[in-house]
Amino acid sequence: MAEHVIQIENLVKRYKELVALDHLNLTVEEGEVFGLLGPNGSGKTTVISCILALLQFDKGSVRVFGKEMQPDSYDIKRQIGVVLQNVAVFEELTVQENIDYFCGLYIKDKRERKQCVEEAVHFSGLEDFRKFYPKKLSGGLLRRLNIACGIAHKPKLIILDEPTVAVDPQSRNRILEGIQKLNQEGATIIYTSHYMEEVEQICTRIAILDKGRCVATGTKEELKAMIKTGEKIHLEIWELKPEHLEELRRLRHVYQVDYREGMLEIRCSGGKHNLVHILDYLARQEISFGRVYSELPTLNDVFLEITGKELRDSAD
Amino acid sequence: MFFRLYVYSMKQTVRQKLIMFWSLIFPIILGTLFRVAFGEFLEEEVIFHQIPVAYVAEEGASPAFAETLKSLEDDGGLLEIIETDGKKAESLLKEEKVEGIFYNRDSGTEEGEVTLTVTRQEMSQSILSSILEQYQRVFHTMGNISRENPAGIEAAAKVIGQQRQYLMEGSITDTPKSVMTDYFYALLAMDCLMGVSMGLQIAVKFKANLSNLAVRRVVSGTSRFGMLMPDLAARITIQFLCTLCSVCYLTYVMKISLGNKFALLLLTTLVGSIVGIFMGFFIGAIGTYKESLKEGVCVCCMMFSSFLSGLMVGGMYRFLETHAPLVNRINPASLIVKSLYSLNIYEGYERYTQSMASLLTIAVLLGAGAFAMIRRERYASI
Repeated sequence: MAEHVIQIENLVKRYKELVALDHLNLTVEEGEVFGLLGPNGSGKTTVISCILALLQFDKGSVRVFGKEMQPDSYDIKRQIGVVLQNVAVFEELTVQENIDYFCGLYIKDKRERKQCVEEAVHFSGLEDFRKFYPKKLSGGLLRRLNIACGIAHKPKLIILDEPTVAVDPQSRNRILEGIQKLNQEGATIIYTSHYMEEVEQICTRIAILDKGRCVATGTKEELKAMIKTGEKIHLEIWELKPEHLEELRRLRHVYQVDYREGMLEIRCSGGKHNLVHILDYLARQEISFGRVYSELPTLNDVFLEITGKELRDSAD
Repeated sequence: MFFRLYVYSMKQTVRQKLIMFWSLIFPIILGTLFRVAFGEFLEEEVIFHQIPVAYVAEEGASPAFAETLKSLEDDGGLLEIIETDGKKAESLLKEEKVEGIFYNRDSGTEEGEVTLTVTRQEMSQSILSSILEQYQRVFHTMGNISRENPAGIEAAAKVIGQQRQYLMEGSITDTPKSVMTDYFYALLAMDCLMGVSMGLQIAVKFKANLSNLAVRRVVSGTSRFGMLMPDLAARITIQFLCTLCSVCYLTYVMKISLGNKFALLLLTTLVGSIVGIFMGFFIGAIGTYKESLKEGVCVCCMMFSSFLSGLMVGGMYRFLETHAPLVNRINPASLIVKSLYSLNIYEGYERYTQSMASLLTIAVLLGAGAFAMIRRERYASI
């Protein structure tokens, strides 16, 4: 049987009364881009801290590359690259020096290190900024430097904790392409983000955490199949009476109808020709409408349906 | 690996303008201000004066101490002896016409019972105290030798001769000429302890609950010890070089006499710098408090330690020596001042070695404590 890159079993982590991780089980296979999704306070960063042996936990085990992870497991740590949520570089060192410093914590051979640094500079598109100090870099460049410092030593496992926060679309796109490239080159990737479209774009398997528990795991398609929404239909209607809404709710496969500010949103649980049935009803009732469009459920729908729509404002 | 990380650590520190200001520029500014403030005193008091001291001898008291004092008075020597009775001596002391009173009582021994009374704790009183201490030590040694090894008595007498010679010549020629010099010793002590900021930075970059940079470092493939050693070595080097700049500035630009044992003075500042760095490292390693709070604690510790060593109030060291001597034994700045003072006041290196040993002990305790707190650390929360 192939070894899991990461195997988390029955992990429990408490902050006094708060249960941050509640008997969490998770596995990451080699070659995956594994997405870790969850609202604020769901335990994403806590899981990552436990994987990296930074946090004490109350119960369970964390195995990385088949071995129990400890603070002094340097043989395992040498195979891991970490890109943190917050930029973690030396303000007093230049771009090139920062990458060389962190790469040097893993690679002792000077020639090999030099080559790795060059590749990381090129990978992150920082060729023109080698001599710049971090405070002179824009937000996007700083994020790219943060990533370059984490991946320069070509790790087998890369953990990226929300690496694209506060990054412009161009830089974000470049970062996502880079992550896919790293994966193609053989790295296993764990990726956490709040941006559903990013996760949908790059992750091959996804786990959704909520209140410290893994509430769903699977591929995008598997997750979408788990939820009730099969199709969302939007119609622009200027006036709609309550009885019409009630009748629309009674149509086959329709399970939710919302009408707000001239926009009607109808959620259907599955079936075919839902749009035709709705348009047919509107025609019969002589209700005029403007724009009409239909969409399949997104990962965002999956996320909201599984974790709920209430605001989460506790710290993660 | 070590050298590469050492160089990077040097670069990081040197490029931190605020830290370099406090470690390099501030002591030079303060030294200049001291020089301007004490300028006239320093220039006037460079001429050494004999120390006036009253001598009260009971009938039948041992003549040995009187002979010692006389030899120190002859030929315009160290002391100016005023032989008088108890009442008159007290009156002279009260009027500050003498710096102290030596009482010599009949104890039935050859050594006699000699005591010293002073009302202040300054340079002159310290020299008088040193004379008495040396006299008692010599007699004690002689007594032991005559009991246990009478054949060695001649060699011992030779030693007494040498020590008496020191009191007459060594003290006068090698002693810093002004109590004001103490301020500059305290300034150097403070300069050494400025290393607390650099020490704190080491801890901050090692504790994952204090900085993101620390998280990235502790999850890397290099051991904590492997990253810590270059960091410590680099910071100690920089702090020592900053202190060296201060010493050179005071000696060659400000023309302050810090004594003629330059190598030992530098050794003292090196050990002082190590203590300063380790103090900051230790404070940084304690608990999960915010970096800003730890910075405040570091500054308070450094300034309070300097205050107790006499940086702000002259004579503080001697005041504590009289009323709370333990403080001077454990306060790093006081120990640095004492080391520098001992180098230039006392014959031999006993006191100097003691102070240096105390400083090194403090450094080892702080370093070991800090390392014990950060090694294999797993956090309850980040």
